Amino acid sequence: MLDIPYRLTPPRLCLIFSLFALGLAGLALQHASPLSTGLEALFAPDAGNATQLVLHYGWWPRLTIALLAGAGLGLAGVLMQQVLRNPLAAPTTLGVASGANLGLMVATLMAPWLFDFGREWVALAGGGLAMGLVFLLSWRRGLAPMVVVLAGLVVNLYAGALGMALLLFHQETLKGLLIWGAGSLSQSGWDGVGFLWPRLVVGAVLAAIMLRPLAILDLDDANARSLGVSLKSVRLAGLGLGVFLTACVVSVVGVIGFIGLAAPAIVRLSGARRLSQRLVWAPLLGALLLASTDLLLQRFSGALPTLIPTGATTAALGAPLLLWLIPRLGLHGGNPVSGQHAIMRRHPAPERLAMVLSGVLVLAAIMALMTGQGADGWQWLGPSQWSTLEWRLPRLLAAAGSGIMLAVAGTLIQRLTANPMASPEVLGISGGTAIALIGAMYFLPGASHLTMIGIGTLGALAVLGLLVLLNHRSGFLPERLLLTGVAVTALFDALRAIVLAGGDPRGQQVIAWLSGSTYYVDLTTAVIVAAGALLAALAARPFARWLDILPLGTPTARGLGIHIGQARLLLLGLVALLTACATLVVGPLSFVGLLAPHMARLMGFARGRSQLMGAALVGAVLMTIADWLGRQLLYPEELPAGLVASLVGGAYFMWGLRRL
Amino acid sequence: MPTVPLFLHTVCRWIRRFTLLWITLLPTSGVLANDDAIAAIDWTLAETLVALDAPPAGVAQVDAYHAWVGEPELPDDVVDLGLRTQPNLERLSELDPSRILISPMFAGLTPKLSRIAEVETLDFYNGERELWDQLVALTHRLGDMVDQEAEADALIERTETRLERQRQTLSSTDDRPLLMIQLMDERHARVFGDHSLLQAVTDRLELENAWQGTTNAWGFSLVGLEDLMGIEARLVVIKPLPVGVKARLADSGLWQQLPSVKRDDVIWLDPVWTFGALPSAQRFADLLTEALEDADRA
Repeated sequence: MLDIPYRLTPPRLCLIFSLFALGLAGLALQHASPLSTGLEALFAPDAGNATQLVLHYGWWPRLTIALLAGAGLGLAGVLMQQVLRNPLAAPTTLGVASGANLGLMVATLMAPWLFDFGREWVALAGGGLAMGLVFLLSWRRGLAPMVVVLAGLVVNLYAGALGMALLLFHQETLKGLLIWGAGSLSQSGWDGVGFLWPRLVVGAVLAAIMLRPLAILDLDDANARSLGVSLKSVRLAGLGLGVFLTACVVSVVGVIGFIGLAAPAIVRLSGARRLSQRLVWAPLLGALLLASTDLLLQRFSGALPTLIPTGATTAALGAPLLLWLIPRLGLHGGNPVSGQHAIMRRHPAPERLAMVLSGVLVLAAIMALMTGQGADGWQWLGPSQWSTLEWRLPRLLAAAGSGIMLAVAGTLIQRLTANPMASPEVLGISGGTAIALIGAMYFLPGASHLTMIGIGTLGALAVLGLLVLLNHRSGFLPERLLLTGVAVTALFDALRAIVLAGGDPRGQQVIAWLSGSTYYVDLTTAVIVAAGALLAALAARPFARWLDILPLGTPTARGLGIHIGQARLLLLGLVALLTACATLVVGPLSFVGLLAPHMARLMGFARGRSQLMGAALVGAVLMTIADWLGRQLLYPEELPAGLVASLVGGAYFMWGLRRL
Repeated sequence: MPTVPLFLHTVCRWIRRFTLLWITLLPTSGVLANDDAIAAIDWTLAETLVALDAPPAGVAQVDAYHAWVGEPELPDDVVDLGLRTQPNLERLSELDPSRILISPMFAGLTPKLSRIAEVETLDFYNGERELWDQLVALTHRLGDMVDQEAEADALIERTETRLERQRQTLSSTDDRPLLMIQLMDERHARVFGDHSLLQAVTDRLELENAWQGTTNAWGFSLVGLEDLMGIEARLVVIKPLPVGVKARLADSGLWQQLPSVKRDDVIWLDPVWTFGALPSAQRFADLLTEALEDADRA
């Protein structure tokens, strides 16, 4: 609840924003021509007047599409948050945007003829395929919210990683898609509006029809079932509609961040409790939010030599808003989570499994050091070629070391928050480091490695400070912590999108680093990383008892005599340190931090202590193999280890999900 | 990680010693040291070296070079060094060049590359001096480096005379200002202005560039099509067009209303490396002159 004297109800909020948007629009029209001519240009532009033409073919369609897209995303957001029962769920959660993005990239590179059918259809097909994969993965579990979110997350990461890889090799060809990916609302005619509005009307009507069954999802699974509702079909319909709406919006204007998450969240916070209320006010607020942002942006970005895409800007502006909202969120740590623990099987002898994994790690290390391609094809290093190890050893150590760090950090954060979506990346620490380093790349060209490390650490510390500042009062409540992280990550994503969309040739360097490569590591750093990782893995072991107890919930943990606030702060500090170190070495795409703990659990490392050990080993193996594969697959071009890890790990993860 | 425990230092030192031991004790394999071999990570440096008749032994992303820079072509036996952002270190050390040339954009690679060979960072496109002067200075410097001073003088001389001749032939044609763009999709374009290679060329041809807005250090500005609307100029579109864009332009109200499109006098130019040096400048000048003359005859 918002705790302010004049309560901001959804209608009041919408009124404020519509006045704001109207004022901005009026100013913009006034600026261009007399107000009446501006309105005239909407219907009958004077063909000889450049200003009127711009208004008719550019400004008016842009305003319209902003309103439509915002409404569509707001509606989709409500549907998804309702079905997935997760305040972090957004229209992009199910991989629609990244699927559409990947579809466009693949079509551009391999099947340009597909564009004859229209770009919207390519994007829709890509988004649809990604969503289909998510449904396929979670079908056997009756589309249970947790499984859907997990499957969506991993499909997102997978499509994102593939997209990054394509971008790394074809940046010149794909530069136009970068603008699309950052969500530019700029229009050059009315065809986008013509495509979008009928689809949104259909979507809105369907949502109204589904209102009653969807409202039942407010109850928990058992109660809902007792009302005789097929949960599976309601979820399928709800998600399907949300995805369809998202795909339509995304295919026309590109990826618009945050509106789909923020509009439903704000509406709910300001008192729209019932689903019917939210279905009305969230689209309205979404439309107004997007339109106001876009109008503001048009007003202030005119003089810049680059284009500031609206989609990325909403994300950037939304981040502080979310940070402001977090302390005001009435979150409580006991919302019904479907039995994530029950479905994990437990290995009878984790120690034996760990021994096997260690053996695999040694084999992988030997392979990574001794085999590889050279000028004459594949070779096993003879004694005369051992000088090559000068290049391979640092990469091996750095890869394995950062794998361990991220895996341990991931295990800690997932146990700490009892949320399987959590990862060091979601916490925002990688994002903070990355923001600082991107800044350094642009403003301090040619800075030394040491300077970069210093700047990156400062970024990580800043985010950690923010996390502590915003969360210490609530005793580091998991949901709030995650939301803080989501906000920082959104800020980072936005910054990255803006930087890349501008088409600055330096963007390539950013892409290379963001994909997570061990390329830049020298031997000293590598040894430090590896040793640090081992120390950290050992340091985390005494916390194992906390890790078993904390997921059981606050009351239980307190009952067992754990000082919750202190325990969380300590674990959080360790996570931050580990993430910062690993990010500085291999970039912020720490999918390993998400995947390794899960893979360890899928293998049967169930207890806190054994999961830590298992995850560390899995992380090390994953990164070692990923680094080696990355160097060999496209020789002489190199795929970054972080990317390959997410591709390899993601495939395994999907297989494991399917088996659940 | 600012403070490093002492024992880690020792460990590092020992590992390095062992590595050094292998390197010094064991005969180095494969390729013998190439005294005059040069590796060019940056395409602009590579194209200049080819034009100076001293082609580099290794270039990054050879296929992409041919797709985007095109001419002058690299020799067939050039070694592909992998990505420009992350050249393959094992491959580079096998090639064992005497120098590695990079631009400041890739300066982050210097510590790694300098363990293989001497790294030279050549600065151009910094927006401080007139771009043409920078490119001339770059050509001289590269000429000195590969002992092709005479060739460098000749290249500069050749380019400038040719541009001068083209200026004279063009002086009689239509002198409407030009708006030089590269389409990103059907709604966005890079428009080239101050500090760009394209404007450096049009300045020498004494053609007027209609884009007076700000540009970044590489001389372009990313704009929506609506920003081009009020500008009275002849459009010069540098190909390639992104896939599907040609068809979508036909449906784009804004594009159809652009003055130059309405008059049907848009000039479509074959691909040019817009961040190049003298060879790319020459190529652009040739293409542009030819197109303007054709248009004038028609």
